[in-house]
Amino acid sequence: MEVFISQIFTGLSIASILLLVALGLAIIYGSMGVINLAHGEFVMLGAYATWFLQQYAGIGLIPSLVLVFLMVGSIGWVIERGIVRHLYHRPLDTILATWGIGIMLQQLVRLTAGAELRYVELPESLSRSVDLLGINFSVYRLFILLVTGLLILLTWLLLMRTEYGTKLRAITQNREMAECSGIDSQRIFGLTFAFGAGLAGVAGSLVAPIKSVSPDMGTHYVVDAFMVVVLGGVGSVAGTAAASGILGEVTAGMAYLLNDTLAKVIVFIAVVMLIRFRPQGLFSQLVRK
Amino acid sequence: MMNSKSLRTLIGYTIFSAAVLLLPLLIDDAYTLNKFSRYLILGLATLGLSLAWGYTGILNLGHAAFFGLGAYCMAMYLKLQTVPVHTGTGGLPDFMVWNNVEQLPWFWEPFHWSYLAITAGIGIPVLLAVMLGWFVFRARIAGVFVAIITLAMLVIINLLLIDQQRYTGGFNGITDLAWLTIGGIEFDPYSKTFYYLSAGSLVVCLLGTGIFTHTKAGLILQAIRNDPDRVRFLGYDVSAYQILAFALSAGIAGLAGMLYAMVLEFASPTFVGVSLSLSMVIWCAVGGRGSLLAATLGAILVNAAQGSLSENFLETWQLILGGFFVLIVLFLPKGLISIGELIRWRRKRTDRVQVQVLSSTKRARGIS
Repeated sequence: MEVFISQIFTGLSIASILLLVALGLAIIYGSMGVINLAHGEFVMLGAYATWFLQQYAGIGLIPSLVLVFLMVGSIGWVIERGIVRHLYHRPLDTILATWGIGIMLQQLVRLTAGAELRYVELPESLSRSVDLLGINFSVYRLFILLVTGLLILLTWLLLMRTEYGTKLRAITQNREMAECSGIDSQRIFGLTFAFGAGLAGVAGSLVAPIKSVSPDMGTHYVVDAFMVVVLGGVGSVAGTAAASGILGEVTAGMAYLLNDTLAKVIVFIAVVMLIRFRPQGLFSQLVRK
Repeated sequence: MMNSKSLRTLIGYTIFSAAVLLLPLLIDDAYTLNKFSRYLILGLATLGLSLAWGYTGILNLGHAAFFGLGAYCMAMYLKLQTVPVHTGTGGLPDFMVWNNVEQLPWFWEPFHWSYLAITAGIGIPVLLAVMLGWFVFRARIAGVFVAIITLAMLVIINLLLIDQQRYTGGFNGITDLAWLTIGGIEFDPYSKTFYYLSAGSLVVCLLGTGIFTHTKAGLILQAIRNDPDRVRFLGYDVSAYQILAFALSAGIAGLAGMLYAMVLEFASPTFVGVSLSLSMVIWCAVGGRGSLLAATLGAILVNAAQGSLSENFLETWQLILGGFFVLIVLFLPKGLISIGELIRWRRKRTDRVQVQVLSSTKRARGIS
């Protein structure tokens, strides 16, 4: 029983990190159709920004979350305005362009911050662990779960309950009609890309203390995040959440039975099968094309 | 029948083939020759990608998987050829001895024979491509999803190669390889013989695919790239042609991979890495995805430029390359080969604008 509960918790904690990374990607892909391969690099930038703020400005992890969101978000905005917006009519080329951007960001960080691993320290209050039901939980993992939950809620509110969200959904459904109704799709897309990038930045800051921070850390995240987005179905926040939950739990379970690598292999094969037989994802709503 | 475009293509192919084959007359340095062989081999791999991507519109982000499988097949054969130098008493490769493997696994057995190994180096990638192609294209999956599936395939193979350390050498891969010897000819990677092997493979594949793209099947591939539905309406089996292109592309990648393992004298999981795979896509796009020769040249030029830089400058180079690549995607989607086209188009457009201005002034005068 204890093994079972701690397994579930491990799964949840993998899922929460997956979800953090995938959420921004899902929004960018779902609403704009842009396959953003630089997304992993936004995560990396977030991690480095956190390290930088801690090292040189003495700002702790929690207050830096907001700063990192704004920093990485504005980088995302600049990239959308400068490059990505020219490619909306060539969706496959966004894969290439964003991979190029990813290489540039990686090299920029390598040239300025160095290629060596960086470490981000946890605040005292989060580095402990607590006993619940006789099982040891790391407080920081619980904290990540909490923040992820909050971010999901915020994103959902933003998309469903604000004017910006309504406009974005209108553009996603039919860009021409939305523009005819006076919605400035250029501005909305810029903000959406910035928002997605900002979320990736926050993900980077949160994983910085538990994973190593290096210029090429992003590559590991981006493929996993894509699997989540594909599994969840395009354009559904709840679907993305559910998909990361499934992937996290299955990965944890398989890793317990076999090992980490084989768990990942099996999960990937399952996702490929899913794309083949249900390309719209597990949880997508019907959309008229 | 030969129109001016085919004639230009033919001239391009001839000049390129002659240049590649005559290069050793100018170079005497073994190290430089080895470097050039490496560039040609990467060019060959990119040629394969261009056939699938530029011609048929299959954006394959996992091209390095086929390349890497070819490399591992060759490496397995060449490793067994080192018996008993880099092997234990039982003729086992050294890394297996370190991992306490006691008997050569069954799937290593066929790699005692050169012809079987070479067949496997091309056959396994082709087989994988046919299976994956059948799985994907029969379901009419296209565009972004093909990209994601091929990327997933690449990651899966990479993870398996690293995980099965006992049989594949894990992170280090298969190192300390022998030289390939066939029919009494020894292919020392630093020799002219080896250069001719890689240059010859490249020229044969380039000419072969060049002819293939000018056949009816080749034209259908291009039609599929432009609009698969219309081709389907005309009664062609679109997925069969897609599988054909995908398999050919994989076979060429497998061949390139085998040569690559020989030139570097090892095979490692980085050959099946996401970075290498996407780099191939970059080279292809830089040269010109729509032209086999341009894609090959793109790979050769980018690698030659990279190879001629000093170690210290390499990091900055990567940055410049990334930026350069983004610019190409934005402004020259057909690659460097289309620069001439772009200039011609600009000129034509200015001409047209001038004509319009002239005619409107005339009209204005007429009214007044």
